[in-house]
Amino acid sequence: MTSERLTGRLAEIVGADQVLATASCAAYAVDDHVPKAIVFPGDAQELSKVMKCASSERLSVVPWGNGTQIGLGGIPARIDLVVGLKRLARIIDHKPGDLTATVEAGMLLREVQASLRPSGQFLPFDPIGYERATIGGILATNASGPWRQRYGTARDLVIGIRIVHADGTITKGGAKVVKNVSGYDINKLYVGSLGTLGIILEATFRLYPLPAVEHTWIALFPTGEPAACAVAQILHSTIVCTRVELLSSVAAQPVGRQAGCAFPEGTVAVAVSVGSVPEAVDAQIAAIGKLCRREGAVAGFLVEGSAQDSLWSAICNFSSASTDGRPWATLKASVLPTHVVDTIDHAETLARNIGLRSAAISEAACGIVRLYWRGAPGVTEPDLISIAKGIDELRHWVVRHGGSLIILSAPSAIKAAVDVWGPVGAALTLMRELKQQFDPFGCLSPGRFVGGI
Amino acid sequence: MEKRRIVQELAAIVGPEWVISDPDELTVYECDGMTYLEKAMPDVVVLPDNTEQVVAVVKLCGREQLPFLPRGAGTGLSGGAIAVAGGVIIGLNRMNRILEIDIPNQRAIVEPGLVNLALTQAIQDHGHYFAPDPASQAASSIGGNVAENAGGPHCLKYGTTTTHILGLEVVLASGAIVPIGGKTLDCPGYDLTGLFTGSEGTLGIATKVIVRLLPHAEAVKTLLASFHAIDAASEAVSEIIATGIIPSALEMMDRHIIRALEEWLHIGYPEGAGAVLLIELDGPAAEIEAQTKQIKQICDRCGALDLRIAKDEQERALLWRGRKGAVAAVGRITHEFYLQDGVVPRTTLPRVLREVEAIAERNALVIANVFHAGDGNLHPLICFDSRREGELQGAIAAGAEIMRLCLSVGGSITGEHGIGMEKIDFIPLMYSPDDLEAMRRVRAAFDRSSRCNPGKLLPSSRSCSETTISYRPHRVERDGLAQRY
Ligand SMILES: Cc1cc2nc3c(=O)[nH]c(=O)nc-3n(C[C@H](O)[C@H](O)[C@H](O)COP(=O)(O)OP(=O)(O)OC[C@H]3O[C@@H](n4cnc5c(N)ncnc54)[C@H](O)[C@@H]3O)c2cc1C
Repeated sequence: MTSERLTGRLAEIVGADQVLATASCAAYAVDDHVPKAIVFPGDAQELSKVMKCASSERLSVVPWGNGTQIGLGGIPARIDLVVGLKRLARIIDHKPGDLTATVEAGMLLREVQASLRPSGQFLPFDPIGYERATIGGILATNASGPWRQRYGTARDLVIGIRIVHADGTITKGGAKVVKNVSGYDINKLYVGSLGTLGIILEATFRLYPLPAVEHTWIALFPTGEPAACAVAQILHSTIVCTRVELLSSVAAQPVGRQAGCAFPEGTVAVAVSVGSVPEAVDAQIAAIGKLCRREGAVAGFLVEGSAQDSLWSAICNFSSASTDGRPWATLKASVLPTHVVDTIDHAETLARNIGLRSAAISEAACGIVRLYWRGAPGVTEPDLISIAKGIDELRHWVVRHGGSLIILSAPSAIKAAVDVWGPVGAALTLMRELKQQFDPFGCLSPGRFVGGI
Repeated sequence: MEKRRIVQELAAIVGPEWVISDPDELTVYECDGMTYLEKAMPDVVVLPDNTEQVVAVVKLCGREQLPFLPRGAGTGLSGGAIAVAGGVIIGLNRMNRILEIDIPNQRAIVEPGLVNLALTQAIQDHGHYFAPDPASQAASSIGGNVAENAGGPHCLKYGTTTTHILGLEVVLASGAIVPIGGKTLDCPGYDLTGLFTGSEGTLGIATKVIVRLLPHAEAVKTLLASFHAIDAASEAVSEIIATGIIPSALEMMDRHIIRALEEWLHIGYPEGAGAVLLIELDGPAAEIEAQTKQIKQICDRCGALDLRIAKDEQERALLWRGRKGAVAAVGRITHEFYLQDGVVPRTTLPRVLREVEAIAERNALVIANVFHAGDGNLHPLICFDSRREGELQGAIAAGAEIMRLCLSVGGSITGEHGIGMEKIDFIPLMYSPDDLEAMRRVRAAFDRSSRCNPGKLLPSSRSCSETTISYRPHRVERDGLAQRY
């Protein structure tokens, strides 16, 4: 189908002002692949019709929330149409008494939080770039951040979902209740499926009450080892934390600057938040401070109020907040908590060998390590192929230690040289079968997922 | 004879002592915890010792085109482990080893036949426990917990089984061994672990389970609040949640249960109590101290008759004793009962419970309510006497009405027990043909042949013939291993 015919058919469904073509499409390129058209359906029915039209023409479709995580995923095999979800942006239902809310996929997380806050509730997501992320994007990428320590990830929070399938059929999974075992727990299948099985239309979440008080304790350590010991101690104690973050010395400096606290050169930082009633927060923060000192912390201080907000914002928005070098690749390693520090060290060595600096921010108690590989100040354009090799080498190390490593974002040339996802083993056959069942013509985000799905 | 040959081949795989084909011995396997709806005899039961043997058995079933199903302890309450289509039951009870305990990383790897409580017992010296706590935990297997995504009173705070499962080794109907998920979080690819959990034995056989372990909380406090009526108790439930407290358990019992318990165990509920709430808090001592105060105020505001706080472990056990004995107590005052399982948003509880009362009246029956109030998971006990004309039909009708009621407020037809055979004809009330089609695709991706636990979870054209639904104690209950609560 020609671009003109395509935009014409789409305009019939959504109105001409909700279709972009030709020149405007460049802004929606995925790994330099420019789509033929962008369409912004205004409701579920329009989205369904768009999908029906696209599938009848066997067009490849990539859903688009706000584009903050569009860098995640393999280089698309084809991309004809981008479906923008920004007009599907309402809270459909919020039941404060039930601590549940149903939200459309295109709504910004920030706006969801703003509308929940008056009832003292929130949706505990704080992934990278959360200020601009949409609900659908967070679910499709299974994005998470420091709060996962206490509240889990999308798989724990989504209780119901509505999906528009490749052929336009709309189905639901789950219900508006927190406990439900009728049929397969199909919500789990769509979360993290990166638009390869269907487009998420809306989701129902379990919400959490905002804690009465939340404080953060920061402890600084001379090296990673004692910092990791402190984290392990906390994890095995009766202290209940909302966030436990370990920042490598390379990351701690810029985060500290951003948050207005100066960390001495070379120190590793551990930031731990506790949220509860005031008495319990005070008691637990005191226990954390004591424990960190015992493990060899050289300094420790309490952060609260707006300083606390800027600290966590600096942590969650790390990549863009840094100014001492362009980010070349952002990686996510998932390892056992006991391997966090080794992973961080190993990544630093490998990055140094190719003239980069590796900054690590880690949900250490969960074993999640985000690595930001950036140019060292003063170093000119590094060689992308050696970066790809470095990533591959790091992945081998992580996999050998029982973990996995994915690329969260990187220039296309790097992605072309090293698989974004890494190996998934024998499960790949099953995943391909699922893809075949849900999208037999391979129209949904082809090539973006594991094993080229 | 065909069957003899197959039995011999199975014996060659697992050893003759681990194959059961004698009709008398097979009767143990003709039903599970759903003792009332339907029974069916498998052709043969095999008890493999390891994954390789499971694979060999499954491949043999493939070659012979035989249906098969996994079975753990057989305590499931929706008929999931019943061989409706005959064939081979693969019992996993011998595969009950703990393969790895990794306390530093708070993980364990176990075989599926391990009894839930045995894991917690094995790690308690390390100050950790396995959180899913179905009332059957002294008997049910971890594989069965995974397959049913079992809940329990404490899943209000800690989540159902799925929250605690990180990875599995699965044997598919094709005989392929597929490791899914892993010891680390966020494995790349589709969340097959999440999808498999709750799949009721229809997607394959779990042969290894990687679980998360939790450290014990600093302190625990158990409270019992009594009210004149259900409405006031429901209001207290809503207020507790609205204040931001997430109790580790929040259970309610109505006047029928209270009466039955008083007659039997003499727990000493206050005179005139029409509803009681069992509330458990756990966490940092300072937190539960403050929360206890808040709860006291809420209960006062809601007109509680009495609030009792357990002083020690002994009193705590006493307060739980009533809750744990609730279902058994009802068993003593009625000839038979039919245990339902449905979920509603908790704010609709007062309205839904009034409706349940009306359903009872319309069908001229008593319906007693004991349930996980914190997450809106109802367990109505529909009392009847099948010797009396029309009561059985009335009870079945009342059960269906309750399921419809749950759906009308946005809830679910099962919160813990699963669809299995029992609710296979009701799942279309909750999901549209297209919704069910998506689930069929999942099943087809795992098992094109549909030989893995056929006749469960997803409806076919086969219609269910309900004959009797009365409660009979399960073997584990007779043995005093577990109580329904
Ligand atoms: C007294 C009593 C109290 C109970 N209390 C609760 C409760 O509080 N909460 C709750 O949720 N449930 C409860 N149950 C129900 C039941 O105990 C749970 O569903 C339990 O998880 C079933 O485990 P099982 O080992 O007995 O499984 P089985 O009954 O043997 O099997 C159940 C299903 O799981 C499948 N299965 C078993 N093993 C595997 C495997 N390895 N791989 C794949 N599939 C498998 C079977 O095919 C079947 O479909 C109770 C039951 C009784 C009798």
